[in-house]
Amino acid sequence: MARKIEIGVLFSRSGPYRLMGEASRSGVLKGVAQVNEHNRFDLSFHPVERDPAGDVDAYAPLSEDILSTSGARHIIGCTTSWSRKEVIPTLERLNGALWYPVPYEGFEASDRIVYTHACPNQHLLPLLDHAFRSHGKRGYLTGSNYIWGWEMNRLAREVTVSAGGEILGERYLPLGSTDVSRIVAEIAALRPDFVLNQLIGPSQYEFIAAMSQLRRRDPHFASPRCPILSCNLTECELPVMGASADGIVAAGPWFQGMPALLAGQEQKQDFGSSFEAAAFASVIMLAELLTHRPGAEKLPLAQLLALPVARKLGISARTHHTRLPIAIARVENGGFNVLNILEPIEGDPYLTAGPDVPRPVLRVVT
Amino acid sequence: MSRRLRIPDLGGAVAVILHRPHPTVAALARQLEAIGLRTLCHWPDLPPAVQSADYLFIDVDPAHEDQFPWLPGPAPMPTIALIGSEAPGRIEWLMNFGADAQILKPVGTAGVYSALLIARATFDARAEMSDQIDSLRRRLSQRQVVVRAVALLAARGKSEDAAYDQLRQMAMAWRISFEEAADRLVENAATDKEADNG
Repeated sequence: MARKIEIGVLFSRSGPYRLMGEASRSGVLKGVAQVNEHNRFDLSFHPVERDPAGDVDAYAPLSEDILSTSGARHIIGCTTSWSRKEVIPTLERLNGALWYPVPYEGFEASDRIVYTHACPNQHLLPLLDHAFRSHGKRGYLTGSNYIWGWEMNRLAREVTVSAGGEILGERYLPLGSTDVSRIVAEIAALRPDFVLNQLIGPSQYEFIAAMSQLRRRDPHFASPRCPILSCNLTECELPVMGASADGIVAAGPWFQGMPALLAGQEQKQDFGSSFEAAAFASVIMLAELLTHRPGAEKLPLAQLLALPVARKLGISARTHHTRLPIAIARVENGGFNVLNILEPIEGDPYLTAGPDVPRPVLRVVT
Repeated sequence: MSRRLRIPDLGGAVAVILHRPHPTVAALARQLEAIGLRTLCHWPDLPPAVQSADYLFIDVDPAHEDQFPWLPGPAPMPTIALIGSEAPGRIEWLMNFGADAQILKPVGTAGVYSALLIARATFDARAEMSDQIDSLRRRLSQRQVVVRAVALLAARGKSEDAAYDQLRQMAMAWRISFEEAADRLVENAATDKEADNG
């Protein structure tokens, strides 16, 4: 008789970042299906789902609702850092844990959260390194007006300047704004070597479309010159951008067509994006931590992550971040063409571990 | 004017916690270790060797001067106060002791990283300001010498403004400060006078 364990699911299915929310949610549901049909787990998962619909003030009450009206102690959820911060007090008060499966800007290590997607040493730093070597060190920074864009761009400026490069300009748009003409005009005039784009949702789609027009009318910007770089673009947002996304260079732990390197991927690989794969991996890792340990679902997260199996899964008990591979990929014909795969490295949320330069994956020939 | 925050090198830095064994220490140490620091806990007194530590956390509630191996005055490293009681007497003690940042108890799952950054920036700014004050004090004490040097030059038939200007040019030519130039001028004049007399 399998143990029935409820788990919370908290992603927005509408609002500006709904495509990311839907991708994460789909990964969770695939993970649950995988766990439930596998005999090697002595448990079955039962999702308790809530939809904040992109409203940042809905996350705290809905996480409270999950933790107080169901048996769920683990929630897989949140897309933006802002919503994650909103949920933390509830997790502390009601003894819950959050699995956060999307890329973020780092500088956090809550003992109530497991961070299962990339942080800057696993996305921004290798991406800038690629841009410096392939395109140059004169950058332009843009983003949506909130913590993700601000912090990523602060770090990009610091890294660029200390590498001997320069930042030619930096400009932000309010969340949801599509008024990109001033940014594009500035880029056209400044002619940087690369543009680091931290705009999200409709702002990003409009910006990418306008940049693609610029590429057509100004040969200086003809692909592959002056690429747009992204740390959170995945396959889940490519369809809405169409051909205008061609040439964007992104970093992430997984892209379609890559070998299986994330938890549980050896069993299943038909993911739409790394958002889906990391949410799936979160469910599989949780199942691995709980299986054959009756009552473990009630353990505080710190005790659960102190189990030796956590280390084997790539979760650090010290930082609660995960060991992840790094891929650099370019959008071509509506999909990603993987340019480079680097070996998995530990998440280093405070960038204090010193330079752990990821090495290219060596393929073992048998 | 906005300052750009210089982020200190925290990987492998040493934080000393002066607090009796308590869940507060565990919560603090967990955060410090997640950030990448090493922690050392001491109670009830700090041994002299901690003076080489990079950060100090102190429990304000029971704190008193005798716990610290240095003379009353600012600690030799950035100090973060762990505040439990907000009784004015304790805050007064803390103001006199001098802390660079604070965290309210109980310590939760976050707050240590920002306290480290603020404490380091405040400590560095305080050290820089104290250097500046020392240098201003030195210059102030040399005011008399400047007046004498200008008077000497003016006695050779220059207006006060021209004398001032000449002194500034001498300082530039000798590549020393205005006050040092004045000092040299006054000293040379005294030597010349001695030579004349002798």
